[in-house]
Amino acid sequence: MIDPRLHEALDGERDPAELPADLRESYARLHAAAQLLEAVAPLSVATRVMAEIREIALEARADGPALRLGRWLSRPRAVTVRLRPVWTLALAAGLAAILLLPSGPGGAPTPGDREGVARFVGHFPGARSVEVVGSFNDWSRGALHLQDDDHDGIWHGDAILPAGQHEYMFIVDGERWVADPLAGRYVDDGFGAGQENSLLIVRPAAAAAQP
Amino acid sequence: MSGRLRLTLALAALAGGAPLAAQSSGSASRLAGRVPAAALPAIDSIIATAVAESLPSEPLVQKALEGSAKGIPADRLVNGVRRGLLQLRDARILVTRAVPGQPVPEGHVAAVAAALARGLPPPIVARLLTVAPNEPPGPALHAAADLVAHRFNPDSAADLLVDAHNKGLRGVRLLDVAVAADHELQRGGGRTPSDALARVRAMLPNVPAPEAGVTRRGTKGS
Repeated sequence: MIDPRLHEALDGERDPAELPADLRESYARLHAAAQLLEAVAPLSVATRVMAEIREIALEARADGPALRLGRWLSRPRAVTVRLRPVWTLALAAGLAAILLLPSGPGGAPTPGDREGVARFVGHFPGARSVEVVGSFNDWSRGALHLQDDDHDGIWHGDAILPAGQHEYMFIVDGERWVADPLAGRYVDDGFGAGQENSLLIVRPAAAAAQP
Repeated sequence: MSGRLRLTLALAALAGGAPLAAQSSGSASRLAGRVPAAALPAIDSIIATAVAESLPSEPLVQKALEGSAKGIPADRLVNGVRRGLLQLRDARILVTRAVPGQPVPEGHVAAVAAALARGLPPPIVARLLTVAPNEPPGPALHAAADLVAHRFNPDSAADLLVDAHNKGLRGVRLLDVAVAADHELQRGGGRTPSDALARVRAMLPNVPAPEAGVTRRGTKGS
């Protein structure tokens, strides 16, 4: 409990000199502490935010639209983005696809200096699927499927491949291995049953354009 | 096209002269899970032998992957890969004789092995290697193999390709020489293979080039 006389002195309602000696000593300590707090007291967050807003409002009233826009663009701002991991991965995959697959004017991938475009065509009426496997895709299924959009039995597809020699075969309906009847070049597959692989020689796109 | 990047990286790694151990272990990782367990140790051993002999291992890896994808029984699969190793050895002998005293150029052995697999006679291979020992031999060898496959005389075919080279045709343009000869032969009118070769020789070096941009299969333009 504070002595009411000390309270009045601190509030400026009583002359500190009129206080008894013990209260005068307490007054001196409390007054010094109050002055110290007044001198270093930080503004609260709310106070600082409101001051900033008032400053911006004043600046906005004083400047033209262009200056205000420039100030808005140049002022650093904190942005919080919340992403689900699955969307983050999808975004990364999309960016990787854009960066890793160069596109031509028509949106189609374009070959590099040591690559060429190979066009595969096969006539397989009634087939449900046709894919190409070969040395260019480690003989792995699922990498290069041909299309027959108009269901006329002519399956076709393009692929960018490294320039040079590639052996390949068609797989019809997921189970029937067929050499390309239009390949023109064939080579024994070396497994002793007399089966032949089709042989494709891809020209570098740059060389193909030369006369 | 997602496999394109992987393929390019793999080829780049091999072309870059990866350390032998790395090549061997890389091959093993590519074969694991795809090659039947019964064949895997023998195939690993064949590939390790190729690496130890500084022969290209990629054709053997491809042969193992091919046979596995086709469901070839383990014994025939191993024999197929072993046959590939023997062809690579034969190829290196031919290359070494063609460029004596020089290091074997990168890619020559695999290209020669591929030509031998297509049935090109070794003397024809050796002759074409000697004409341009420091150029990639693949196109000239394939052009010769194309001509031989279309029943042209092997020596005459090699003569034509040597002439084409001497008149400035290089690389894939040599394939156009073979295409032109085949077209001349197909024109009919009692034209013999010798006639066709003579007509192409007369037009050198101005043999028709294929349509730019896309490699089609078949004799036209590829």
